[in-house]
Amino acid sequence: MKILVISVTGLLIGFTAPAATAQQEPVISDANAGAQLYYDHGCYACHGYSGYGRVDLNNTGSPWLVNEEIFRAFLRARADVAPVLPSTSMPNYPANALSDEGVNDIFAYIRSLPNNQPDSADIPALRTILESAEQREYKP
Amino acid sequence: MSSKKPEQPKDPSATTVDRRGFLKGAATGAAALAVTPVARAQEPSAYRASFTAPSYQQMQRDAGLVELPAPDSRGVVRPGSDLMVQALKEMGIEFVASNNGSSFEGIQESIANYGSPPNHMPEFITALHEESSVDMANGYAKAEGRPMAVMLHGTLGIQHASMSIFQAYNTGTPMLLIVGRDVGFIQAHTADDMAAMCRSFTKWDAQPTTLSECIDTLHEAYRQAVTPPTGPAMVVIDIELQKEEAQDFDLPRFRPAVIEGVDTATAKDIAEKLLNASNPRLETGMFRTPKGIGAAVELAELIGASTSTTSTGGPMGFPQRHPLCGPGAESNYDYVLGLEADASDLSLKRPIVNSLTAQRDVMGIGFGSLREDYAPAPPGSEPTPLDRSPRQPQGTVLKVDAQASIPLIIGELSRLITPAKQREIEQRKARHARTNRETFLTALRVAVEEKKKGWDLSPVSTARIYAELWPLIMNEDWCLASPSNFSGAHHRELWEHNKPYSFLGTQGAGGMGYGPGACVGAALAARSRGRFVVNVQPDGDLNYSPGALWTAVHHELPMLTVMHNNRAWHQEYMFLQYLAGVRGRGTDRGHIGCVLRDPFIDYSKMAQAYGMDSEGPIENPALLTAALDRGVRSVKNGKPYLIDVVTQPR
Repeated sequence: MKILVISVTGLLIGFTAPAATAQQEPVISDANAGAQLYYDHGCYACHGYSGYGRVDLNNTGSPWLVNEEIFRAFLRARADVAPVLPSTSMPNYPANALSDEGVNDIFAYIRSLPNNQPDSADIPALRTILESAEQREYKP
Repeated sequence: MSSKKPEQPKDPSATTVDRRGFLKGAATGAAALAVTPVARAQEPSAYRASFTAPSYQQMQRDAGLVELPAPDSRGVVRPGSDLMVQALKEMGIEFVASNNGSSFEGIQESIANYGSPPNHMPEFITALHEESSVDMANGYAKAEGRPMAVMLHGTLGIQHASMSIFQAYNTGTPMLLIVGRDVGFIQAHTADDMAAMCRSFTKWDAQPTTLSECIDTLHEAYRQAVTPPTGPAMVVIDIELQKEEAQDFDLPRFRPAVIEGVDTATAKDIAEKLLNASNPRLETGMFRTPKGIGAAVELAELIGASTSTTSTGGPMGFPQRHPLCGPGAESNYDYVLGLEADASDLSLKRPIVNSLTAQRDVMGIGFGSLREDYAPAPPGSEPTPLDRSPRQPQGTVLKVDAQASIPLIIGELSRLITPAKQREIEQRKARHARTNRETFLTALRVAVEEKKKGWDLSPVSTARIYAELWPLIMNEDWCLASPSNFSGAHHRELWEHNKPYSFLGTQGAGGMGYGPGACVGAALAARSRGRFVVNVQPDGDLNYSPGALWTAVHHELPMLTVMHNNRAWHQEYMFLQYLAGVRGRGTDRGHIGCVLRDPFIDYSKMAQAYGMDSEGPIENPALLTAALDRGVRSVKNGKPYLIDVVTQPR
């Protein structure tokens, strides 16, 4: 636990840095297996099937997603009986509920999610929304 | 379904008392109920004597073995129910929604046959469940700012409807609930005091004993419903009153409610403060009717005040794209007036139903949201980039209707404004308009960048549904009648809410099953007014009350339903996962009881079963625009339409 606390403290300090600058390390686990676990454990309920949801995971550059070890520490430190990182929404994932290997696979899956944010100028609906709002005048 | 049946002569062998006598003796009967069952069996009370075993004719009727009356058997030429329907006409009741029942068949028959043309003002709207019928009245009243009526069949109808009455009460929605009472028929369907079952969450109720009282109570129920604190009002009407011969009874004229605002001195004081301020501000909330919005717009324009809005969070709000709506050119407001909203100087806020709790909650249920000290969040209280205004500390609050007060303030202002002041106001309005426009567009650009995330991925993002839909309806007179809290509420940032009915807000008490009925109610209001109703329909919600789809088809309502089909009750799913994590147990079993899979539900086929044109399920987002376009065209051609879209959870 002491090691965990130290590493999490370090992460908290690191978290103050701009999220997008977090250095992403290579992925080595099984993204396909992770996809099934992502579904089975209901990660999609908050984070969406594609990593976009109430809380985005997809290409956020989050420091919690730098490597498997940090991600695992994060999942194990949530709303437990004695949480290191208390949360009112993100569940804790203890080892008896989700193995280290499983965590690594989910990590691999999250890191494999496609970044899908096309240029809004290339999306007709969004382009129309902007253009019409600029042209439209209020009418009672 | 009740069928037309002959008036049956009373069985002379039955031990019964006259209904009037029974009503007068109700207190005696109630006291008799308190004795032991043995004692009651030995000493028949007036209460017991009034309830007889069903006659042979009644049992025949129950079994559907009825014979049509002989052509010359019509003895009643001016039934009391005709006068009741005439009273509804004179109060301007457009619709009566109901799942039919024998205890109000007199009124139902009068709606169907009385008047020229019959079944018009009010029109009978067929609901497949009482809960939906009340939701229809809720949606209609939110859109129009005035009540429609619902008829409920005795104890059963009230209990089926109670959930939606509770929701309507929580939002203070005015509606007229008519309950049929037939003491001589099925005993489980009647009671001494049926309105007591929901007295804690209705504003007012009455059980008249004569035709004259009945008309008076219908009038009073309407006035009570629309007078702050607004809410549902209930009248229990005996079947015999509906069927009795009215003879030459003179129908009294309906007197509309008189709703008072501030007194003249207060109005003058407010006018002077607004006029003396260099940067006045109006914080606005949900007005009672569209007239309130019109008055608020007139006041804002007269004084040149920047104005907040709740129109992205609920109905009857200040128009979002009005040039004065927004933070204004400067935020150093020196006099802030709240109109049905909190404000740092003075707020005019009409009382809400919580103020009735001590009077109405006679059973001491103590509903959490109806405690007198509970302050419900106003519509749109959740700030978005488009309607955020600086949170003001609470100033003085006058418990008075803002809508009724504004004309008095305007009258005072009109007398006080000088030409020099007028020029100053016009310059301020121009500055506000420029800033507010830029604020709106800046927020919209930010929102667009946020909404494009996962645009091309499957399942379809909830943002894409709202974004694809908006260009197709922006030039229509549209109304988003479904709650949007479970589907991301993306309209709040992408659409423009300029009409009293642009968005009808949430369920009221967070109860499921509200959406389909409420959208049908809004569509009833829309049908004759050339409007277009949008229903972004969560799958969990639809499964409570799918029969409302049939009502939409049956009455040819302009309603486009787009399913937010995330195949689960995701809010609960997230709660379960969290708790499993807290307890250090399997988060992979959080779905149990929370998901709608094995099998998936086919909502397109469900709609087709109710006769509604539909398509889906759509999982490929590239297919969405064309489907929405087909749906919009169908609705504009008079046919409601459903598109099943498999979506991201939120």
